[in-house]
Amino acid sequence: MGLFGALEIAGSGMTVHRKWLDAISDNLANINTVRPTSGEAFRQRYIVAQAVDYGSGQGGVTVGAVLYGDPQGRLVYNPEHPLADEGGYVRLPTINLGDQMTQLIMAQRGYQAQTATIERAQTAYNAALQLGKSA
Amino acid sequence: MITSTSDVTKADRVFNDLTSVVLHTALGGLMSRQRTVADNVANIQTPRFLAGRVQFEDALRAAVADGNPTEAAEVTPSRAPSLEPTREDGNNVNLDRETLLGSETSMQYQLLLRALDSKYGLIKTAMRNN
Repeated sequence: MGLFGALEIAGSGMTVHRKWLDAISDNLANINTVRPTSGEAFRQRYIVAQAVDYGSGQGGVTVGAVLYGDPQGRLVYNPEHPLADEGGYVRLPTINLGDQMTQLIMAQRGYQAQTATIERAQTAYNAALQLGKSA
Repeated sequence: MITSTSDVTKADRVFNDLTSVVLHTALGGLMSRQRTVADNVANIQTPRFLAGRVQFEDALRAAVADGNPTEAAEVTPSRAPSLEPTREDGNNVNLDRETLLGSETSMQYQLLLRALDSKYGLIKTAMRNN
């Protein structure tokens, strides 16, 4: 454990939440990505958080796993599309806009909670650094 | 200059008296609590994570009641998982509670630092020539 343990832990929390935000923005950016039916649809990413030691040691959080959405996607009839197969179908991802926006808010608020932790820890550490100065 | 064991005891009475030792132990306990709060907040989305709670006050209070600085110095903060009901994903971190606990711990920490600071101020005054 380093000298400023709480800062390291909050930093690991920020990293996980930022990766989550990255995944969501990638999912949202690809919500209309069209693929031919011969290939896989764009697969949305889900970040799974994992505690470093579940409270038994120094603490912190990491990305434990990345899960991917359905490769089948959904078939959409769009015969004008250059990628359409002979039946006129293309493959789109199964991303749910409402789901992604909800997760976006959760990730954003989680990230803000980490910065609040950092500010509190900074105040305490700063006070400790002033020890003995006034006397 | 410290030359004999009795002088060491005298120096111990100035720097390692019950007040200083209790303040040091309590600062360590609060530091550990703050780290645990940071861990809880960092793991707010971790499935099956149980929030941690740090306790040291009861053990410290017992040591103070005995009036023994050595006993107070040996008090170590203990961490236990919170028994609150979990969410659907097996996590029981409560952000409002952690925020409150975090600010409380931070303020207590600063209060103890102020107490330690005035303790050092007293020693400094005693050391000053006139």
